[in-house]
Amino acid sequence: MSAPHAIRQAIDWGALAPLRIRARQVAEGVYAGSHRSAKRGAGVEFGGYREYVPGDDLRWLDRRSLLRHDRLVVRQFETETDRALCLLFDASASMGYRGKQAPAAKMAFAAVVAAALARLAIASGDPVSLTFLGGGPRAAAVPRSAGRDQFERIVAALETAEAGGDARVDPSKLDRALQSLARATRRGAIVVFLSDLVDLPDDAAESVAAIASRGRVLSIVQTLDPAEVDFPFQGTVRLRALEGGAVVETDAETTRDRYLAALAALTRLWQDAALRRGGRFLRATTADDPVSVVRAIVEAVR
Amino acid sequence: MSFLSTLALAVALLVVAPYVAHRLRRRRAEEQLFPPARLVQPAPPQSRRRSRVEDRALLVTRAAAVLLLALLGATPFVHCSRLSLQRSGGASVAMAIVVDDSMSMNALAGDKSRFERAREGARELLASAREGDAVAVVLAGAPARVALAATTDLGAARDAVDALSAADRATDLDGAVALARGLVSSLPQVDRRIVVLSDLADGQHDGPPLGEGSSVPVWVALPELRAPAADCAAMRADRTGARVHVAFACGPGASAAGRDVAVEDAQGKRLGQAALPAGASGETMVLLPSEDAAPFRARLLGGDAVASDDAAPVLAEVTRGAIAVVADTVDETVATGGAPIVEQALSALKLDLDMRPLPAFPDRAEDLGGDLGVLLDDPPGFTPEQRHALGAFLDGGGVVLVALGPHAAAAPLGASLEPLLGHAVTWGETRSTGGDPASAIGQLAEPARSLAELGATRRATLAPEDVTALEPLVKWTDGAPLVARRVIGRGEAWMVTLPFSVDESDLALRPAFLALLDSWARSARERAAPKRSDVGTVWGFPGARAVEVVGPRGPIAVSREQGVARVLPPLVGVYRITVDGKAETRVAAPVSRELDLRPRAAAAATGGEGMGERRASVDISGPLALALLALVAAEIALRAWSRRKVEALA
Repeated sequence: MSAPHAIRQAIDWGALAPLRIRARQVAEGVYAGSHRSAKRGAGVEFGGYREYVPGDDLRWLDRRSLLRHDRLVVRQFETETDRALCLLFDASASMGYRGKQAPAAKMAFAAVVAAALARLAIASGDPVSLTFLGGGPRAAAVPRSAGRDQFERIVAALETAEAGGDARVDPSKLDRALQSLARATRRGAIVVFLSDLVDLPDDAAESVAAIASRGRVLSIVQTLDPAEVDFPFQGTVRLRALEGGAVVETDAETTRDRYLAALAALTRLWQDAALRRGGRFLRATTADDPVSVVRAIVEAVR
Repeated sequence: MSFLSTLALAVALLVVAPYVAHRLRRRRAEEQLFPPARLVQPAPPQSRRRSRVEDRALLVTRAAAVLLLALLGATPFVHCSRLSLQRSGGASVAMAIVVDDSMSMNALAGDKSRFERAREGARELLASAREGDAVAVVLAGAPARVALAATTDLGAARDAVDALSAADRATDLDGAVALARGLVSSLPQVDRRIVVLSDLADGQHDGPPLGEGSSVPVWVALPELRAPAADCAAMRADRTGARVHVAFACGPGASAAGRDVAVEDAQGKRLGQAALPAGASGETMVLLPSEDAAPFRARLLGGDAVASDDAAPVLAEVTRGAIAVVADTVDETVATGGAPIVEQALSALKLDLDMRPLPAFPDRAEDLGGDLGVLLDDPPGFTPEQRHALGAFLDGGGVVLVALGPHAAAAPLGASLEPLLGHAVTWGETRSTGGDPASAIGQLAEPARSLAELGATRRATLAPEDVTALEPLVKWTDGAPLVARRVIGRGEAWMVTLPFSVDESDLALRPAFLALLDSWARSARERAAPKRSDVGTVWGFPGARAVEVVGPRGPIAVSREQGVARVLPPLVGVYRITVDGKAETRVAAPVSRELDLRPRAAAAATGGEGMGERRASVDISGPLALALLALVAAEIALRAWSRRKVEALA
């Protein structure tokens, strides 16, 4: 096996293929539920308050609330909200993993969710963009755009992408992706980060959560394989990470609880980071129903 | 070993199977991809260590089980190579075991000596004996002897066999078989037999087959003892000045070509070395670095069948000694003047001995301490003090030559010729005028012809009692002893019944006179030098009251036969002997015929049919099965213990 950062593999779509049809089905499933356009229309309408986060425009700081409640809150105006959907898609090597019990690779599941979200947004008239974190050379970002063709471009980009790269070894990948995203999004944009979060740099949580500033809505969707949630191994196992080069030989029964605790701690770290910035955090496994996952995301970012 | 037993034992090769399985089980786990591997902690070290200990215990248990299983399978086909008795109808057996303890039995038979193998064979035979069997043990080293008379006490027989030790004796197989036959032939057991445990190398390769015509059946067992072998031995090593002459001999088929002999000191340091000449026997000379060197032994380099005879102690030739001459300077001086004629004769012989003229025989033995011999020409008897000194001199190994003449016959009152003669001598006319050359023996046989006409008119006559005690070397023509000798104590007394004076006879003018003096002086020199004899030859010490002997392996028991102390040296080497406080050295040399390792033929009926067998099955399947069960139980216990540990850890 080559070095982890050189891992590059085509997406194991499994039961989620083909992406285009599957994404439409998911989107239609979401329609059948509680459909609501994300776009509120033009005009200067008060949209409510929220906690101030560093980076917010001080012009919208609510002085009355500060004086009255001694809290920093900013006022939101729906007419100024950009309801564009920005998909930040983790295509690093670890996303290519598919456990024995999983219907597809994590990247495939995330792609279905991303495509379904894109279709929902496009159907509502909102622009959509796609930015890859890692991935192979064919993982080309799709600039922000609206319209039916955009959905095709999004699907095409997701279908041709490969799982590759090591975000843990090369933290600049994440920084570049976040900077690019920050430049391209404006206030009110919805950023959905689809990742397993397991092989990202240690300070990635704060960096990603910072996207939630400037009125952007962040939703972090942790996509895991059922094996990563359950740790189904038995006896002595030798485990190799797809990123970071970690190799561990251990006794599965002895270390299962410790692993689950470590995974819970990691999840809590991201969750806290997201909530502190007003973001949302969701966890999904590839065994979950994509419709439910997409619906939960829509509910979260509403 | 049969094919089946080999096949069964080949199963033992599966002993590696648990090890291989163990290695496979302990092989590193197959690597699996798992993205969040960095969140997984390695197994605790305690767990790994426990696993290793448990695995090794199981490994040992399983390997031992496989091994035992193979042995168990092979047991019915495995026969231990042991001697055992066969008996007809279960009757008791009378058995005489002949164990050869000769030097040739020191050759190797496999990884041990032939003697050790023979002793093992004797033990195996005794192990197969039962209550009621009679056993005797006979040793075939010359002289053949009984180590244990026939007895039904098998414990005593085992003790007797255990007490046997190897020796360097010659071989007396016929004597041993005859002894064994005598021991068992009178026993009540109907089934009698003689078992010979020997290499049959008794130096009589072409002799009659052993056991032929024996009234008691003979079984010559252990054919492996008769494997071909070759041997060479260092027979003797004598030092003269800075030279050591080493004599060697080899058995038939062996040659000393290519071998060297080294002379070493007591610490083993090599003082000199020389190549042995090609051939079956010969002598070589090794030059020492100086006359001050102290050589201890000469050793043949290179290996052969018997190692114990490859070294010979270096004996120094006798140091320049002296001969005391007691002669009448008045009567025996020749007409031309000068020293007495006997002294001139001794000088003419150039004996490399100092001559010490004495006016009279000394009264104290200490005055003769440095003398090898004493020559007395017509002594007028001995006073009591002189008799005591002479007796001590003879007891110590001294040699005396006495010429009896008129003075001896006219010994004064109180003087006698004891201990040389018990009775007085007479001096009188003789009808015989010379010696009988035909009666001469030894070194005097040839020159005795010159004694035929001595011109003597008178001579000394010995009492008949004294004559019988003497060994005549030359007789008068009438049969009376002219020159005779006798052993007294450890010494020797030579007597001549004529004085050396030329006035009484022409004896001193005859060539035989010089031969007589030379022969006597040689005897004196030989007695002063360390004695060398064949190993196994009895040394007697007549007259000695206290004898102590220390051989190559420590003190040796001294026996007495008819009041005479006797010692039999069983090993080749140097023996330090103390006789009545006086120390001497003797050497036991190898017997040359023991170098012939060719076995003598054995009679056709000595194959042991019906008397014994070489193979006896030993059934050890029971203990093996028990051990196997124990191992299985141990494995079960180990696994249960390990399971409990795992559960406790979980």
